[in-house]
Amino acid sequence: MISLLQHAAQHCWQHISQPRQLAAAPECQTLTVQLSLALGEFSLQLNNSLPLNGITALFGRSGCGKTTLLRAIAGLDRHANAQICLNETPWQQGKQFVPVHQRRIGMVFQESSLLPHLSVEQNLLYGFNRLAKQTAVRLQPEQVIRLLELTSLLKLAPQYLSGGQRQRIALGRALLSQPQLLLLDEPLASLDQQSRSEILPFLQRIANTTGIPMLLVSHQLDDVVKLADQLVLMQHGRIHSQGPLQQQLLQPELAAIGAMSLLHAKSQGSHNHLLQLSIGQQQLQLPSPQHSVDANYSATSYRLRIQARDVALSLKPLSDCSVSNQLQVSITGIHPAPHPAELLVQLELDRQPLQALLTKQSADRLGLQIGQQVYAQIKAVALD
Amino acid sequence: MPEFLTILSSQDWQAIQLTLKLCLYTTLILLLLGTPLAWWLSLSHSKLRTAIQAIVALPLVLPPTVLGFYLLLLLGPHGAIGSTLEQLGLNHLAFSFSGILIGSVIYSLPFTVQPLVESFRRMGPRPLEVAATLGASKLDQLFSVILPLCRGGFIVAATLTFAHTLGEFGVILMLGGSIPGETQVLSVLIYDHTEAMNYAQAHQLSLGLLITAFAVLFIVYGLNRRFEREAIL
Repeated sequence: MISLLQHAAQHCWQHISQPRQLAAAPECQTLTVQLSLALGEFSLQLNNSLPLNGITALFGRSGCGKTTLLRAIAGLDRHANAQICLNETPWQQGKQFVPVHQRRIGMVFQESSLLPHLSVEQNLLYGFNRLAKQTAVRLQPEQVIRLLELTSLLKLAPQYLSGGQRQRIALGRALLSQPQLLLLDEPLASLDQQSRSEILPFLQRIANTTGIPMLLVSHQLDDVVKLADQLVLMQHGRIHSQGPLQQQLLQPELAAIGAMSLLHAKSQGSHNHLLQLSIGQQQLQLPSPQHSVDANYSATSYRLRIQARDVALSLKPLSDCSVSNQLQVSITGIHPAPHPAELLVQLELDRQPLQALLTKQSADRLGLQIGQQVYAQIKAVALD
Repeated sequence: MPEFLTILSSQDWQAIQLTLKLCLYTTLILLLLGTPLAWWLSLSHSKLRTAIQAIVALPLVLPPTVLGFYLLLLLGPHGAIGSTLEQLGLNHLAFSFSGILIGSVIYSLPFTVQPLVESFRRMGPRPLEVAATLGASKLDQLFSVILPLCRGGFIVAATLTFAHTLGEFGVILMLGGSIPGETQVLSVLIYDHTEAMNYAQAHQLSLGLLITAFAVLFIVYGLNRRFEREAIL
């Protein structure tokens, strides 16, 4: 399994998804946070309601308050006058403060946090043994062990595991405590590229199969775009904006980091090693993923990550061009890009946004205007 | 019985028994009092901490006679604590086992607290945060995380406290004098034997203490090495 994963990483194919009918009904939770604190230069001012559904990324630069917020939600830090509610249940309100061990949260920390005196199995069951008595058990140890492929690790001591394996166990341990909400504090930050690929697909798999909402703190836009459904953008201790990832990617603050788009496509099967994908009425062909991580999890829908730099525009469909993926799109906006010579063109197809980064010169030459129908040539796609 | 043991007088045996009792009681009391104190010292950012740290370390630098002198004043019939006890119809604590037990607890405090602070700091707050998010209450955390992870620190603290109390002399002499069965511990008895020119008896007890102390320290350093190796793994 591990070697397959490594292989998958080399090919940049990570396409664990699940047929929709198997997925647990996603639970929508609402987290209300009122928090105001100032520590020297650092200040955090929040009065927000966060609908949590699937994977919600809490994204922002280091030091913008993401981890502080996550720790306050977990109850690890108690701030005066804060108010935190999950759905109708107040976790902190006035003098009332529900201690960490009574909040039904699962938390995965940045670095390995397995209890070193316990085996993998004992670590996994630490929370299960304490919380499963009090609440209805929805996730059994066997299920989680299968889901995260931990069987071969159970008897080992944490010291002998790789970083990716440790984080996978921490994730399983958190899941087994039957949480209402999973809090992930940069779970990939301390991992190298290979270890990341040992855990990223599993996060996706958990979101799809368990339906437990996740709040994922990250400062890596790449990870966020691979995983998240919703994105909460934090800046200077405030929530700048929140919403579905596809729409959020159009925010100029994110475009400045590296403009990209996310398209959802349906799989129509594979032909001659080419995966046939459809977005609305339009078709795309991409080399089929050769190393499916797990044959049981065959995908019916894919996420396509497309860098704005990899999208070219033409007024007519091109036939004498090596780029075979051309999509008919309409221009919805033209904005300045971080570089003064470039423009960011916002496009739409089948109600999904797509961005293209062009030079001003090319845009002038083509005479691009809002509302115009053009053809987008897509040079490179990363498939998740 | 080997000849070495048979020539010990009943007075010697009484002193050995008393010493072991004092060491055992001191160690138990200090583990109970020292653990929360060490925990607070390892976590607190309060300004008080520096002062408390200095007070805990005082017995390391003060001559035992100074400590014994003040305790004698405090616990004796005219001292604040001693006179209060007398008014309550109890005995004052000078020249009593309870008195030297209090003296030992104060005198050996740093030997309990410092290894514990060290091991609590090495553990750090993360394992407890993890346990809390997994539903463990504070008490549960103590038994399922702190005790197993700081086992080495507790063993070192207990052994050092025991060994240090074994070697106590000045405080006991000042506060307890030399009452057989009450305050006459081994170190004091050795002093008495020497004063009375009983060099053979003094020698037997001294050699016994020397060997015991060495054995205890040897075990402590051996354990320390083992726990360090575990920590590296």
